[in-house]
Amino acid sequence: MSTIILGLLLGLPVAGTLLCAVLHQRRILETVTVSVGGLTFLSALWLVAEVMQGTTISSSEGWLYADALSAYIIIIISGSALVVALYSTGYLRRQIRDGKVSDRQLWLYYLLLNAFLCTMMVVLLSNNLGFLWIGSEATTLATAFLVAFYERERSIEAAWKYVIICSVGIGFALFGIILTYYSALHVVPGSGNALNWSSLMLVAKDLDPAVLKLAFIFILVGFGTKAGLAPLHTWKPDAYGEAPTPISALMAAGLVNVALYSLMRFYVLVNTAVGGTYAPTLFMVFGLVSMGIALPFILLQKDFKRMLAYSSVEHVGIIVFAIGIGTPLAYFGALLHLLNNALAKMVLFLTAGNVRLAYGSRLMRRVTGAIKVIPVSASFLIVGVFALTGWPPFGVFISEFTIVTAGIDRGYVVPVIFFIAIIAAVFVGFIYYTSRMVFGEPNVPVTGGEAEPLALWVLGLLLAALLLLGVYLPPPLEQVIENAARVLKG
Amino acid sequence: MIPVHLPLVELLIDIFAASILVTAFLIVSSRSLVFYIRLFALQSLLLGMVALLVVIGYGETHILIAAILTIAIKAIAIPVVLTRVIERIHVQKEIRFRMSITASLMFCGGIVILADSVAQSILRSPHAEASAVTRVLSVSIAMMLIGLFIMMTRQKALTQIIGLLTMENGVFLSGLSITYGMPLIVEVGIFFDILVAVLILGVFVFRINKTFESISIDSLRSLRH
Repeated sequence: MSTIILGLLLGLPVAGTLLCAVLHQRRILETVTVSVGGLTFLSALWLVAEVMQGTTISSSEGWLYADALSAYIIIIISGSALVVALYSTGYLRRQIRDGKVSDRQLWLYYLLLNAFLCTMMVVLLSNNLGFLWIGSEATTLATAFLVAFYERERSIEAAWKYVIICSVGIGFALFGIILTYYSALHVVPGSGNALNWSSLMLVAKDLDPAVLKLAFIFILVGFGTKAGLAPLHTWKPDAYGEAPTPISALMAAGLVNVALYSLMRFYVLVNTAVGGTYAPTLFMVFGLVSMGIALPFILLQKDFKRMLAYSSVEHVGIIVFAIGIGTPLAYFGALLHLLNNALAKMVLFLTAGNVRLAYGSRLMRRVTGAIKVIPVSASFLIVGVFALTGWPPFGVFISEFTIVTAGIDRGYVVPVIFFIAIIAAVFVGFIYYTSRMVFGEPNVPVTGGEAEPLALWVLGLLLAALLLLGVYLPPPLEQVIENAARVLKG
Repeated sequence: MIPVHLPLVELLIDIFAASILVTAFLIVSSRSLVFYIRLFALQSLLLGMVALLVVIGYGETHILIAAILTIAIKAIAIPVVLTRVIERIHVQKEIRFRMSITASLMFCGGIVILADSVAQSILRSPHAEASAVTRVLSVSIAMMLIGLFIMMTRQKALTQIIGLLTMENGVFLSGLSITYGMPLIVEVGIFFDILVAVLILGVFVFRINKTFESISIDSLRSLRH
């Protein structure tokens, strides 16, 4: 049974990639991608049902492994992939009609989108930390040509920067993994298993703490780079800004969480082995610094997608900070924030895509009076910004409030004051720029119209989910998050 | 497999490891892109030899395939690809340095000392064995840092690739040194990733060259604020 679920989760995206590699017709590519997204999401729901009782499942040889934490992240990833697949169909059809995308590019887009999902699944399902690394590097490689998709000067530059910075970061992470392996080699029976998370956790207390402490620094820098944690976040605004909007959305809602997942795995391991406040303190510092560094760039931004990228840096900071607080309530808040942030980021990136299609520009000063031109998207935009910046009654407010409560309970008053101040300042920046885009008179003749009804329905659903999470947390979801938080506790 | 005559193997490992470090220093001290690629190929060949010595001297047969892959991919395939790239884009020299060669070499000397102290702190672990292979750890950490240093101080796109690969060689050597290499299937996956990364970066070098006339990443500044 468990082998079937794990096989489906990994096999469906692989099958999608292979099918897209040999098929070239637009309609078939769309159907394959959307069905892979949908079926993977269904399998993810099945996986959640299996691990609902806090149990874990693994394949017979122990290569694949899933517990509540991976199941929860897989739900977010596959759900985002489905939304992005649905949105991409309409978006790319418009771009083909406008002559911005060729048939070959269309094929490459769907091929790489499937490959991207596939590589993220490898990270999330690997028991072996070496494979987790291989999958992480592969996510960079799968998205490299997607970032360079439009083949403009700026996009190739962004893709270059993206691959170089992330590969260097992940190179350090590999050294961290080697050190982890070294610390386990004499402890884990049968050295073939010494890289398996499930075997490592069994003997975590016997691992050499001094070596693991050093390993954790390299891993934090490495996977922190992939997650976009300051100071190695500089690839993020360029990559998110240049990639096609649906891909930016999947990177901000999916890839970020995959990198955070890797960080969490090592956090649990090191925390169990070393104990004390070593890993939590590092997380809190890196989290707050990321939030602080993102702030000025949000306040002085010209391009909406780049602003969202800095917001992503900020929210990764929030999540890492929350994990660093280290209480069960904080873990719960951090994991809930993962979901809320993913939903809000998708709403805003995809709405930004609608604005882009209508105005043909990404610069915020070129876009004014959107409410008169594309009323539905413009309302989504302004509501989405309120949701993202943590206003009630949306989900982000609830998770941020939980994190603040947990922080004060733990006695971290000063860091929490900084935390709140940064969030408030980010709100001011966002609302200033967005209101100028949404209200007023359109200053240029706007050529494109509103996005397709399907895209708008999807966006409406996402916003509804954010609203629901703000007023009511469905008990099954609460159960899943609680189980995942228990994994974080070690 | 029975370990053969250890002192000789240990001596050879020491010699090869020292030579690997020398290639990294030579990369730092030269200007010609073609020379960078040849040095990298030599460095990878030496790395493959160290891996082979670990197979022979310590009976770690699972490293054999990784050793062959190192020589086939890093010492032959990647250098061939990069040489093609250079021929096509007609860029031969690293012209602008953010740090002079003399200063760079002195800085890298400092890196080696730093790397050695980090390595010693890792080897202080109770499980550590004092063999020639573990001594190589300081060389491997120095290579990672020198690779990073090359990437930060040189501006040609191709030099950046060489810096990244030097760093990767350092990581591979560190794995060889303290854990006798990762499990085979993991090593193979890592090789695959590195090969694909170099191919992708190679394509970008072409395209950057097409759009900017020369591939100095200094001209990649339009995304700055």
